[in-house]
Amino acid sequence: MVPSVPLGACLGLSAVLFAIGLVGFLGRRNIILMLVSIEIMLNAVNVSFAAFSSQLQDPRGQILALFVIAVAAAEAAVGLGLVLALNRNRPGVSVADLTELKY
Amino acid sequence: MGILAGQSAFYYLAAVSVASAILAITRRNPVHSMLWVLALFVHVAGIFLLAGAEFLAAVQVIVYAGAILVFYLFFLMLLDLPAETAGPRFGAHWPLCAAAGLAFAALAWYADDPRLVPAMQPVERATRSPGSLRSIGMALFTQFALPFEITSLILLAAIVGAVVVAKRKNVP
Repeated sequence: MVPSVPLGACLGLSAVLFAIGLVGFLGRRNIILMLVSIEIMLNAVNVSFAAFSSQLQDPRGQILALFVIAVAAAEAAVGLGLVLALNRNRPGVSVADLTELKY
Repeated sequence: MGILAGQSAFYYLAAVSVASAILAITRRNPVHSMLWVLALFVHVAGIFLLAGAEFLAAVQVIVYAGAILVFYLFFLMLLDLPAETAGPRFGAHWPLCAAAGLAFAALAWYADDPRLVPAMQPVERATRSPGSLRSIGMALFTQFALPFEITSLILLAAIVGAVVVAKRKNVP
């Protein structure tokens, strides 16, 4: 199959998606949406990997993207476990409320 | 597929991806955000298909849209925080965050400017399609066998870590 996706457009899309995820991670107050913004950023990086893999005709980019997906799953599990533990001590998922190091 | 059809499909998928990502981080209700993220993941899977990465597209739909997103939705319903939708969505420092995002997007956009970095050399095309499951599987179990096993260790550590962190302290 001829890759019909231009590399530059793919990298631009990846940059825009990563920036949106960055704004969400830095700006949102809800800690669950901050974790979702991390997922958006990881997905943006996967778009870059797939574009380079298609451009260079090399499967290694897709393999790295698979590893990124595995790490994203691990991050979601541990991150949401932490949110659950925090939520048990103090209901609410706003990062502005997390001002103490120990509960 | 013709080049024109492929390109128009790509620009449609890219536009919808960007729009749903923006909607996802700006919605007040977290469940709405999750549904927009679902739209984003499905459209990114379409971009993977256009880029010739069929296996990656399948994994994207199964793992991201199927497992991770359902996990997030389940978690939102487990916590059940209706008061969260009332407060301000962004912190008081949101202009700084928007500036950081714009600066990053501009930097990454111009990163392949030939005046800044050396141009990428064209490479010779392999005969076999890189997206075929056969080539990915061969590379994954030979050249990348050690990282593949380490990935399983990462997932095991995540399972154990999530259980330990989320366990109630007073339950023996």
